[in-house]
Amino acid sequence: MFHGMRRKASVYGAMASVIPKIYMAYSLWFWVSLVLNVIATTIFVFFWRAVYANTNSIAGLDLQQTLNYILLAQIFAPLGNMQLIFEFGYNLREGGIAHALLRPVDFQGSYYGQYLTTMVTELVLQIPLALVVTLVFKVQWPTDPRVWVAFIVSAFLGRTVLFFFDWILACLTFYTTEVWGLGVFVDGISMFFSGRLIPLTMLPPLLLVIAGMTPFAQAFYIPISLLSGVKPLSQAPRLWLLQAIWLVALWVLSRLIFRVAVRKVTVQGG
Amino acid sequence: MLRYTNLYGLFLIQRFKILMEYRVNFLIGASSTIILQMAGLLTIWVVMRQVPSLNGWSLHEVLLIYGLITLSKSLNHMFADNLWTIGRQYIRSGAFDRFLVRPINPLFHLLADRFCHDGIGNFLVGSVLIVYSLRALDIPLTISNLLYLLVAALSGGAIFFGLNLITGTSAFWLMDAVPVMRLVFDNHLFAQYPLTIYPRAIGILLTWLIPYGFASFYPASYLLGHHMGWLAWLAPFVATVLVVIGYRVWKIGLRHYSGTGS
Repeated sequence: MFHGMRRKASVYGAMASVIPKIYMAYSLWFWVSLVLNVIATTIFVFFWRAVYANTNSIAGLDLQQTLNYILLAQIFAPLGNMQLIFEFGYNLREGGIAHALLRPVDFQGSYYGQYLTTMVTELVLQIPLALVVTLVFKVQWPTDPRVWVAFIVSAFLGRTVLFFFDWILACLTFYTTEVWGLGVFVDGISMFFSGRLIPLTMLPPLLLVIAGMTPFAQAFYIPISLLSGVKPLSQAPRLWLLQAIWLVALWVLSRLIFRVAVRKVTVQGG
Repeated sequence: MLRYTNLYGLFLIQRFKILMEYRVNFLIGASSTIILQMAGLLTIWVVMRQVPSLNGWSLHEVLLIYGLITLSKSLNHMFADNLWTIGRQYIRSGAFDRFLVRPINPLFHLLADRFCHDGIGNFLVGSVLIVYSLRALDIPLTISNLLYLLVAALSGGAIFFGLNLITGTSAFWLMDAVPVMRLVFDNHLFAQYPLTIYPRAIGILLTWLIPYGFASFYPASYLLGHHMGWLAWLAPFVATVLVVIGYRVWKIGLRHYSGTGS
C-alpha cells in the first residue's frame, strides 16, 4: 500500500512539477504582470482613499482596515484564480483531452495536483508585488503565527472547494464546446462574489446572502478575512468546518457530473 | 472609401454567419462582458450607497465617467479587437502573408477579419450608463449634447485604437504584442473614475502621455458643467494625432515583417 501511494505521489508530482517550468518559460509576462498588478493596486488605493474622504467607517471598517484587506487581496489574488474552463476548452480544441483521459491515472487527481502547484507558483511570483505593496502602500502583515496557520488551512480548504466548483463548470465545456464567453462570464461573477474587489461585509444583506451561497467567498474572502483581521481568529474553526462541508459536497457532485458529462466529449482537433 | 465600406459589410456578414453557427456561444460571449462590467459597477454602487460622494463626485457623476470610457472601449473592442491577436494568430503562423498578397490595405484586412461580438456587451453597458446617469443628473439630451457625446465616444474609441495600434505593431518585432499592449491598455482603468481622485502625476499621465482621460473624464466634466476650457474639445485632435502616429508606426512595422510560418 505504501509503495502504491509513493508511486502515485511520484506520478502526480511529476505532472505538477511541469507547472513552474511553464511559468518560467515566459519571463516577459512575469514583469508585465507585476506592472499590471501595481497599476490595479494603485487604482484600488486611491479609489478607497477617495471613498473614505467623507467618512470614517464603512460596515465597521476604517480606511486602514479596508486598505489592508484590499492590498492583501491583491497580493493573494491567485487564491481565487480559476483555470479549468479554459484548460478543458483548449484540450478539447487541440485534442489533448483524448490522451489525458487514456492515461492510467485519476483524471481529476492529476488536475488537482496541477491546480495546487499553479496556485503556489503564482503566489511565489507575487512576492515582488508584496514587496512593492509593503514598501509603497504600507500594508500591515499579521505578526501572530496563529493567524498565519488559520490563513494557510483556510486557503488550502478554499482552494480545494474552488477546484471542485471549477471542475463542475469546466464539464459544461463538453456541451458548449466554446469557452471564451463562459470563462469571462464566470470571471465576472467570481470577481465580485469572491470579495476580491470589496470586503463582503460591506454588501447589503441580500447580496451578502447570495455571496455566502457561492464557493467563491469560501475560496477567497474567508482566508483573506482571517489574514487581514476582518474576521477574528476565534471564528477560524467554525469557518474551516463550513469550508470542509463545501469541499465534501462539491467533491461528490463534481465526480457525479463528470461521469455523465464525459460521455459528451467531442474532440474537435488533434 | 465606398469600396472599403462595402468590403467591410461583406466581411461582417461572413463573420456573423460563423458566429451564428454557435448561437448559444454567441449569446454567452456577447453578454459575458456585461457580467464582467457588473462586478465593477456593483462595487461602485455598494460603496457609494454608504458614502455621500467620491471626493466630491456623486454616484451618477461617477457612472457617467464609467459609461463614457466603457462606450469608447466597446467601439475599439468590436471593430479593432483583432490587433490583440496579430502576433499569435497571424505573424507566428505566417497567416499574415495572405494579407500582403491581396489588393486591399493589410491593416483594414486585419481589422475586418474579425468583428468581436464580446464588445456588444460593453457597448450596451456604456450606452445604458450614459443615458441613465444623464437623466439622473437632469442633463437634457439636446441635439448639441447628443452631438458632443457622439464625437466624444468616437474620439474615445479612436484613442483606444490609436494606442493599441502603436503598441500592437510591436508584434512585427516581438512576435507577440499582448504584453506590450497590456502595459498601455490597462491604464484605461484609471479613467473609469474621476482623475481628481489621483495624484497630479497620474492626471498628467492620463491626459498627455496615455490620454484615456479624453475618453471619459474630460467629456463627462464638460457635460456636468465643470469649467474645462479647451480641454473639453481636445479629444478629436488627440484621437487624430494618435491614429496618424499609430498608422505611421504600423507602416514601419510592416516594412520589418518577415514571415515566420509556412
